[in-house]
Amino acid sequence: MMHLPNHWPYIAASYGLTLGCSLVLGVGAALRLRKSKARLAAVEGHARRRERSAS
Amino acid sequence: MTRKTRRLWIVIACLACVGSAAALTLRAFSSNIVFFMAPSQVKANPPSPDRTIRLGGMVMAGSLHRINENGTPVNAFEVTDGQAAVEVHYTGILPDLFREGQSVVALGTVQKNGGFTASEVLAKHDETYMPKEVADELKRTGKWDPRFGKAPDASSWDTMTAKKAGG
Amino acid sequence: MRPTPNLLHRYANPGQFLRLAHALLPWLSSGAILFLIVGVIWGLFIAPADWQQGDTVRIMYVHVPMAWLASSCYLGLAVCGVLSLVWRHPLADLAAIEIGPVGACAAALCLITGSLWGEPMWGTWWVWDARLTSMLVLFFLYLGHIALIRAFDEPARGQRAAAILALAGVIDLPIIKFSVQWWNTLHQPDSITLTGAPTMSMMMLWPLLICTIGFTLGVAAVIFTRLSAAIHESRARQLLARSRLDRRDSQVA
Repeated sequence: MMHLPNHWPYIAASYGLTLGCSLVLGVGAALRLRKSKARLAAVEGHARRRERSAS
Repeated sequence: MTRKTRRLWIVIACLACVGSAAALTLRAFSSNIVFFMAPSQVKANPPSPDRTIRLGGMVMAGSLHRINENGTPVNAFEVTDGQAAVEVHYTGILPDLFREGQSVVALGTVQKNGGFTASEVLAKHDETYMPKEVADELKRTGKWDPRFGKAPDASSWDTMTAKKAGG
Repeated sequence: MRPTPNLLHRYANPGQFLRLAHALLPWLSSGAILFLIVGVIWGLFIAPADWQQGDTVRIMYVHVPMAWLASSCYLGLAVCGVLSLVWRHPLADLAAIEIGPVGACAAALCLITGSLWGEPMWGTWWVWDARLTSMLVLFFLYLGHIALIRAFDEPARGQRAAAILALAGVIDLPIIKFSVQWWNTLHQPDSITLTGAPTMSMMMLWPLLICTIGFTLGVAAVIFTRLSAAIHESRARQLLARSRLDRRDSQVA
């Protein structure tokens, strides 16, 4: 068995990149869902009030 | 429903066309897709010395030695595919995984004397992943010598090493 | 909305999908986090080093799941393409928009981690062998899909063009899969096949399996979340457009 030099930088970079990207994707999606829910609720409330005032 | 069925058939027909076109193209170019040539192919019809090719095969056990060529140390080893062997000369640092019995791919040209001068040597590892302890045990008990071929079947490792540990 | 008795159409109903996603999301995301924590710790610290590659073999535990996800996300895009072209599902187009960038990320990560593995082991960052090149083609197919589906002012045209691209690109998937068998490549053949026994120690197979399940659950959670958000966004857009029309009508009156 020959001596293998230390390749930890390559391993750390692979794991860091993969887990980092996964985290960004996951958190980004969760924040987007929360924002879109809030916006839809606001728009729906607005529309309902308009309908009520129109009738 | 008929319109949907017609669209479905159009999609299937297009897929079949694209698929067969791709298959034919790949067949036509299959010699260019091949990443490397085997030693027996090189021996059978040697490419001209000005053409750069990739030579792939196993480093023959006991063939690695250092020679002096015009004052510079050169790594010399033989690459074999089991049928023919080609002598490779390479000036430079060999990759970490390089060893006798390892598969390698060398980039370079075939000389007039049938030898191969490489400008780059890449190590090609196989699909066997084995813990270091298992490999050491198999080597120690003489059940496998990595210089002479592929590792035994993964399902047999436990019994091969356990028998030794138990006995 | 018309009643839709067809099974295929049941989940094309965005409301139905939202309920399904809402019920599944906590399970998917907590499962993903659990499996990933176990898998990454196992892969990084507990799994044995390879006899010839040493510790560098640990890159496999992120590289292989990314390759698997890049291929399966593309298969998902192609299924969305068929649903969109043949059955004109509204949800299929939304799903294609949301799956594309996730799959592109997986393909990019597969290429990058593969490069980080190739440099110390093979001695090169990149070679033009069949496996690596076909994976790069898949990445470019993703980029093309992402660009095409957003390229037109009229969304339906972009969606149809992107669906056709997704279907034509499906031919790359078998090429990726079988490239290591059909041609000699620098990339090693698959260790895990449907037909044969894996050529890998069980001590390495387990963390690989757990990491793969973890990343798969995570990507499913991300796609479900993005698709739910997209449905909410499109509903808000529709409501706003309608109220703007109403306002114009009342002004005209």
